[in-house]
Amino acid sequence: MKHYSQVAGEISQYSDLPFWKKAGTTDLAYVAYGLFVVTLVLVSYALGALKLLPYDPQQISIGLLNAPPGSGGHLLGTDFLGRDILSRLIVGIQAYFLPGLLAIAISLSLGTALGVVAGYRGGSADPLISYFNDLVDSFPRLVLILLVIAAFKPDIYYVMAVVGVTGVPGVASLIAGKIRFLRQKNFIEAASVLGLPTHVIILKHILWYNCRTLLIIGATLGMGEAILIETSLSYLGFGVQEPTPSWGNMVQAGANYFLQGKFWPSTAPALAILFTILGFHLLGDGLNNILEGKRNK
Amino acid sequence: MRPAAIRPIALALSREIALTALLLLGVSFVVFLILYLSPGDPFSVLLEGQTVGDASRAGIREALGAPRAWYAQYLSWLGNMLKGNFGTSIRTGLPVFGEIVRVGLNTLTLTLGSLLITLCIAVPIALHAAVRGDTALSWPLTMLAYVVSALPVFWLGYLVIYVFIHRFGLFPLISGSSAAQEHAWLYFMVPIAVLGIGNGTVSEVIRYLRDEMSRVMAEDYIRTARAKGGSVWRHAFKEGLLIPVTEIIASKIPFILGGAVIVEQVFNWPGMGRMAWQAAQDRDFPVIMGIAMVAAAFVRLGSLLQSLVYAAVNPRGPQE
Amino acid sequence: MTAPPLLKIENLRTYFYSRSKQAFIRSVDGVSLQIARGETLGVVGESGSGKTITALSILGLISAGPGVISGKIGLRTDTIQKNLLQDLEMYVTLGQRDGKIMDVAKDEAGWRENAERIMGRLRGKEIAMIFQSPKSSLNPFVSIGNQITEAIRLHTSAKDLKGAKERAIYWLERVKIDSPRLRFESYSYGLSGGMCQRAMIAMALSAEPSLLIADEPTTGLDATIQSKIVDLLAELKSEFGVTTLLISHDISVISRLSGSVAVMYGGTVVEYGPARDVLSAGFAPKHPYTGALLASVPSARNIQQKAYLQVIEGEVLDTINLPRGCRFYARCNRVTEAIRKKCAGDEPDLREISPGHHVRCWLYFE
Repeated sequence: MKHYSQVAGEISQYSDLPFWKKAGTTDLAYVAYGLFVVTLVLVSYALGALKLLPYDPQQISIGLLNAPPGSGGHLLGTDFLGRDILSRLIVGIQAYFLPGLLAIAISLSLGTALGVVAGYRGGSADPLISYFNDLVDSFPRLVLILLVIAAFKPDIYYVMAVVGVTGVPGVASLIAGKIRFLRQKNFIEAASVLGLPTHVIILKHILWYNCRTLLIIGATLGMGEAILIETSLSYLGFGVQEPTPSWGNMVQAGANYFLQGKFWPSTAPALAILFTILGFHLLGDGLNNILEGKRNK
Repeated sequence: MRPAAIRPIALALSREIALTALLLLGVSFVVFLILYLSPGDPFSVLLEGQTVGDASRAGIREALGAPRAWYAQYLSWLGNMLKGNFGTSIRTGLPVFGEIVRVGLNTLTLTLGSLLITLCIAVPIALHAAVRGDTALSWPLTMLAYVVSALPVFWLGYLVIYVFIHRFGLFPLISGSSAAQEHAWLYFMVPIAVLGIGNGTVSEVIRYLRDEMSRVMAEDYIRTARAKGGSVWRHAFKEGLLIPVTEIIASKIPFILGGAVIVEQVFNWPGMGRMAWQAAQDRDFPVIMGIAMVAAAFVRLGSLLQSLVYAAVNPRGPQE
Repeated sequence: MTAPPLLKIENLRTYFYSRSKQAFIRSVDGVSLQIARGETLGVVGESGSGKTITALSILGLISAGPGVISGKIGLRTDTIQKNLLQDLEMYVTLGQRDGKIMDVAKDEAGWRENAERIMGRLRGKEIAMIFQSPKSSLNPFVSIGNQITEAIRLHTSAKDLKGAKERAIYWLERVKIDSPRLRFESYSYGLSGGMCQRAMIAMALSAEPSLLIADEPTTGLDATIQSKIVDLLAELKSEFGVTTLLISHDISVISRLSGSVAVMYGGTVVEYGPARDVLSAGFAPKHPYTGALLASVPSARNIQQKAYLQVIEGEVLDTINLPRGCRFYARCNRVTEAIRKKCAGDEPDLREISPGHHVRCWLYFE
């Protein structure tokens, strides 16, 4: 049963509901959850960096092996060596946070720069961008990373730099497309006729007013990807090494115990991965839908 | 196929093949570049490996002389590769090409099988959403898809293994003897199912297929089909399902291959992914370079097949 | 005694809902029309007057909510006699305030199933429709010949491939497409707009429907082609006598093909009667909107006299925010002081002012 109800009284032809009332509740919920996750990550990163942890993540406590959450003051229990899981999860964020930012910074900055150039240059840059896009897409991400690791060393920053570079053509083509679309709208011409210097036009009008949503969404999805890559790598043994915790190597280390029926040491970090990546995905998708006004139209 | 339709397809194909060749060239250059920038001199080792016979090998080193120009190195490496000579593995001494072929088939089955599984999950959900719109089931399904896509596939693998050990008393790891056992087919299904579900693309695939089908359902010609009492499904199928499915498959192959690296670890599946992992550990660059090239070739092949399907279905000939 | 009409629409209401404004878009707000057998009814009006939505409502092709919410559409052909909106009241509950509908509760899934059950058997077979923009209305992946045979095999006795193909080629010839046997294999992208429209007409008529609905069949085509299509329709009309509902904003097309004319504005019918009466440029009584429409069409006379084209002042009606009185009041140039209060405050009914000729205007009431 669908109910439709008209608001009584005058309805202005020109006014519209503000975007937060227009947006679907699901999208708002997604964004709220996503922001919650982002806050949690930031706070945890800070706690980890400042070493403000409930327990020492390396401290072994033989009496309390594989304890369930809540026992003996350990909020999330302990792992197979009696180490506090919550502290290890918090420290685990160090493994991907800054490297992820590096990847995002590279792909967004280089991508935007190239995209702006391509957008201004017009059609001739298109096949080039498309070629590089296809080129980058031809590599399975992990295989390329393994190649880089074999050639250099298993350093997460090298890896994330490469991940950042692989994101450049995608961002560039999005930005170039947006610019081409905006150019048709003439206000860029108007602005330059009014005497605004080119760099102001680009920075202020194009990027800030029109592209920022694209960039924000790109950043959230990029961080989600970075987490996936870092955890996969440390699971495979190429990232942070034991006993330093990373969510990936925690799952790997707990694997044997999992198969013996002691699920928690592997499952806790897996759930952390799940809920964090989920948060970034939902944030990106929710923002996209709200700002593009797709849903409920 | 009607004769009139063949010429534009041939044209489309040759253009796509040329593009693929150009891209693979670019791939080889990127691979070469990475190795070139790597510390040490991997290339002499690599090129030595590509030469046959020990006796001549020492001679080659001298004949090659001191540092060669990078383009000469690149060209001779590329030339060898095109002849099927991928060099020899630093670790095992075996020819890389042969090794990759041996395990490549396993990865191929894993990849294709899991693509099928992903489609089996995504297509019904996407079609239901496109045709029925919002139902009570829509949101739970969407949420489930999101959760499944954010799940780390390695953990999912352990979960499934655990269930298999305790429920079925089986240990789904591939080993030499497993093929002979009575439940052999189960051993193959499990990693395929895990990769098919956990590769992280399910959510996007559902969304893409649903959006494409919805877009086609809103087209004028579907309205005409409805108005004349015709079968909407028959009209919407080509543009709404067939083409989008081939497009999304082609674009997700790289992700599935990446996931295969992990799944092969979890299940000890003897494929290219596990070989790549080993190669990265040992810094066995001939192997990892060969695998990178083969993986990229596989991706591009998928893309080529997709273009073929598009050209065959589209009477207009190739148009973006 | 006149035969009962083939199609009789009574008080049809089709609304849409704007979520961002939380208001109804009253696209069709109480439309009543009827078409006698063999007759062509022309429906004329500007964009947004609700003509197309009326046609889509007949065929049950409205997809966005809430859609059709009230009315009766009676179809009476040789073989069937049905109210196409049967059982609508079961699925819809309306809430009114100040005489206007302000609340709609509709079981959309149930209604859609119900409508499909009724319309599924009629679409294409009893009622056929052709659309504007013929190129995009044909499936680009299927040859036009096969699209016609699909209709033939579904709705006529020719179920076999060969027989259907022959029928299709016959019809392609009938709509004056050259080399029909060759064109059978053509795709829509290779044909001009005019040829696509001819193919659509062939597709619609080959199923031998009782009613043909033509929604802006000439709009979007080149001027010379428009004329040819109109000629074709006139020919087919006299040969087959198909009852037609013709929708257009182009008065010349309407006048050439219609026996009766209905003028729509703002979702309602404002004038309705024999074509001769409604479209006469003379002094016959008519709705101010019709008069303005006729005066705004360039004709040989006013080109010779170098007269200015008459413009209808004002803007298109906002079907969300309907005014209280007559819908045309804001743009009417024939309001007199005597009736100004009525025009601004109350909406007039449709009244018969001469046999068969109805007008919705306070000018003609007492």
